[in-house]
Amino acid sequence: MGSHRLGGATLFALSARQVTKRFPGVLANDRVDFDLLPGEVHTLLGENGAGKSTLASVLCGLYKPDEGAVLRNGTQVRLTSPRHGLQNGIAMVHQHFRLVDRFTVAENVVLGHRNLPFRLRANDLEDQVAQVAERFGLPLDPRATVGELSAGQRQRVEIVKALYQGAEILLLDEPTALLAPPEVEKLFETVRAMTQAGKSVVFVSHKLGEVVDISDRVTVMRDGRVTGSVARGEADTRKLAELMVGRDIDLSPRRSRAAAQETLLQLDKVGLTKDGIERIANVSLSVRAGEIVGIAGVSGNGQRELAEIVAGLQAPTSGEILINSVRVNGMGTRHVRKAGLAYVPEDRLGTGLAPSLSIVDNLVLTRDRGFLVDRKSALAEAEAFIKQLEIKTPHAHTATRKLSGGNSQKVLLAREIFAAGDHSRVLVVCSPTRGLDVGAVEAVHKLLDEARSAGKAVLLISEDLDEVLTLADKVLVLYRGSVVHEVAGTEVDVEAVGLAMAGLS
Amino acid sequence: MIIGNFRIELEPRLTSPKWLYAAVPAGSLVFAFIVGGVFLALTGHSPIGTYSSLISHGYTSTKGITNTLGLATPLICTGLAAAFAFRMNLFNIGEEGQMYLGMIGSAWAGIALAGHLPHVLAVPTVLIVGAAAGALWVLLPAVLRAKLGTSEIVSTLLLNYVALNLVNYFIFGSRGFFRDPTTSFPQGRGVEETARFHSFGTSNTYPTVIIAVLLAVALYWFMKRSNFGYETSVFADSPNTARYAGMNSTKLTLSVLLFSGALAGLAGAMYVVGPAGKVDPGLLQIGLGYAGIVVAALARYNFFAVVLTAILFAGLRVGGASLQISSNPVPIAIAVVLQGSVLLFALGGEIFRRNRLRIRRVQQVSVAS
Repeated sequence: MGSHRLGGATLFALSARQVTKRFPGVLANDRVDFDLLPGEVHTLLGENGAGKSTLASVLCGLYKPDEGAVLRNGTQVRLTSPRHGLQNGIAMVHQHFRLVDRFTVAENVVLGHRNLPFRLRANDLEDQVAQVAERFGLPLDPRATVGELSAGQRQRVEIVKALYQGAEILLLDEPTALLAPPEVEKLFETVRAMTQAGKSVVFVSHKLGEVVDISDRVTVMRDGRVTGSVARGEADTRKLAELMVGRDIDLSPRRSRAAAQETLLQLDKVGLTKDGIERIANVSLSVRAGEIVGIAGVSGNGQRELAEIVAGLQAPTSGEILINSVRVNGMGTRHVRKAGLAYVPEDRLGTGLAPSLSIVDNLVLTRDRGFLVDRKSALAEAEAFIKQLEIKTPHAHTATRKLSGGNSQKVLLAREIFAAGDHSRVLVVCSPTRGLDVGAVEAVHKLLDEARSAGKAVLLISEDLDEVLTLADKVLVLYRGSVVHEVAGTEVDVEAVGLAMAGLS
Repeated sequence: MIIGNFRIELEPRLTSPKWLYAAVPAGSLVFAFIVGGVFLALTGHSPIGTYSSLISHGYTSTKGITNTLGLATPLICTGLAAAFAFRMNLFNIGEEGQMYLGMIGSAWAGIALAGHLPHVLAVPTVLIVGAAAGALWVLLPAVLRAKLGTSEIVSTLLLNYVALNLVNYFIFGSRGFFRDPTTSFPQGRGVEETARFHSFGTSNTYPTVIIAVLLAVALYWFMKRSNFGYETSVFADSPNTARYAGMNSTKLTLSVLLFSGALAGLAGAMYVVGPAGKVDPGLLQIGLGYAGIVVAALARYNFFAVVLTAILFAGLRVGGASLQISSNPVPIAIAVVLQGSVLLFALGGEIFRRNRLRIRRVQQVSVAS
């Protein structure tokens, strides 16, 4: 650990003292204390809405606290803007990158820098950027156009930008959300290089697993308050989860308990070529009743296309798709649904659900409606779901966009798994827990497990490797539209899967 | 914003209470009258006197209210047309032209068909043909929108000018079918007597006002309960969700726009079976199509509110016009100022429905102890 102790007293690089921040109807931070030592990696852990991003925004100068103070090296600073924060050596890398796609890496890095010479010499700037990148072990070509870089590379651009502008403290908001496992490892190396150079890093995350690896200290938040602060070695995932959620959480693997049955979903050499680019290449797989087949992969490797092909939203350009032995290639969503497929798309609010419509109206969405819509039975069904699945909502007529992510996902899953009169036996689910709280993740996993036990054939397509490994009886890795790795869920070698996801197998 | 010792802030509301939906328009009406009053006072008129005269001529006197209802009848239809299209986030700006075509179509039916039909069928036929002509006028923009995604705002708007010149050509530019052959004075040829409604008594209100109100009720019920209404609400809210559920967006877009055009065409047809009885260029002067869009926007696209707003607006027109012939004539522009202010305040008032106004006393900045 790189803590600097001066004559017994600790001088914190950055502190929050009793910070309170309110938004209409929400107390986002309630008298929060937070301390960051020089050279330390300190994680802010919490569920969505716990207030960790708000705290990070207060620390970097994006928000002004309603009450309380921010201290830099022990003296109070009143940050008025992120630029002011940067002048104090504090920089934040946001989850959604703020880069200009058409500019080169070097141009993006120097963008917004105040003391640039009147005449910009591209070569000089590129050399400077390359130097900064090299010092912290960030492989980056300063001449590359940002629009062509991967998510991991873009993140490096953001980090280099912060370092170039003189950041001593780096706040990383959900930095691993978009990265493949090898990229995460590389990010961690960079973080270690930074702390060795005396810089401090605040890691904002809701992912338990990675937090334990990288952090010197973890501060857990819940409902706007700090519920605990744990040093390296004292932290184990179960304890952290409990601090996060306030109750015991079970995220242990769930596997099929029954013997495999007949094949319900079959893809035979399915391919999709669009605009001359091969999006899906020769994918063959089968899912049997009572099993979950998981498809892992980094975002953008054809998951979306594969799901849409199976769901009938796109027609494959080659190959066959069979549901219950019926060929359904490009028959359109209504027919595919009739053939027995239920589909939970990645985009819950905006594709799977109509956000401004009520829970009742969203249950009607996939039904056969006559001339007049029967909302009476849908209302009864909605009320039953709300009770059974503990969906938190004022009532069944609440718009789904007003629900939390976990609750709207429960509505969607309920419709696709349990809807009355639904005879579907194949379930395609895409990134079902993306952006959800740990508690909601547990609930969603339980629902998928129930669907499996009920004899459905489940195809789980997820960018969250942990999720696939927790649930799947068979794991496939999708890379650039092809299945590059296939292994039984109980025999997974995590390293091999990670390499396959990065295209290195 | 800080004024003196007070800090004025807008704070977003999480939910808007129901009464606000009525209070905000009512409040904006009051403010609009205050603004209008300032203009009246500046031009040397008594605001109180002018307003009481306006209200009497527009709403409270028998003659006033019947004139208003007569003018409101086609306005309800164009308002419903705009509100209906907006239910699916489609902006039909072409009610004006579709209404003219409705007038032309219904006049044709009134001249050419009505004589061959039994009495009871004459008026309905004329109305239906007028509606069909309105729908036909929006067909091209609708197809372009549904198939190619061309902005319906521009195409429907431009067709208004085509329709305008078409009417002018029929009456002033040619001696064709629609022109009265018995006189050299340019005016429309009258439809058959059986193709016209009689007004109530000696008033200017026609039975079409009942049709217009019933239409609003029927539309409300239809859009709330039917599968068609459900699908449009899903599509308006989230086109991707509609696609996910396998809804046919081309069909929906086409039918919504065509029906909106039919409603606007009906406005023109009601003008023919009611007061006009022919293709009457007078309709070109009143701008009921454009006013319908304003009415729909003010009514927040609620079909019942369209009826009330249309009557309110028609009353302002009727009352405003009658002020011109008093002893101290008020320019018609004042009525237009009022209408404009109502719109401005009503749309601006939205901010108070979505936000809460907070006025807090600012603590004088003192040295922290």
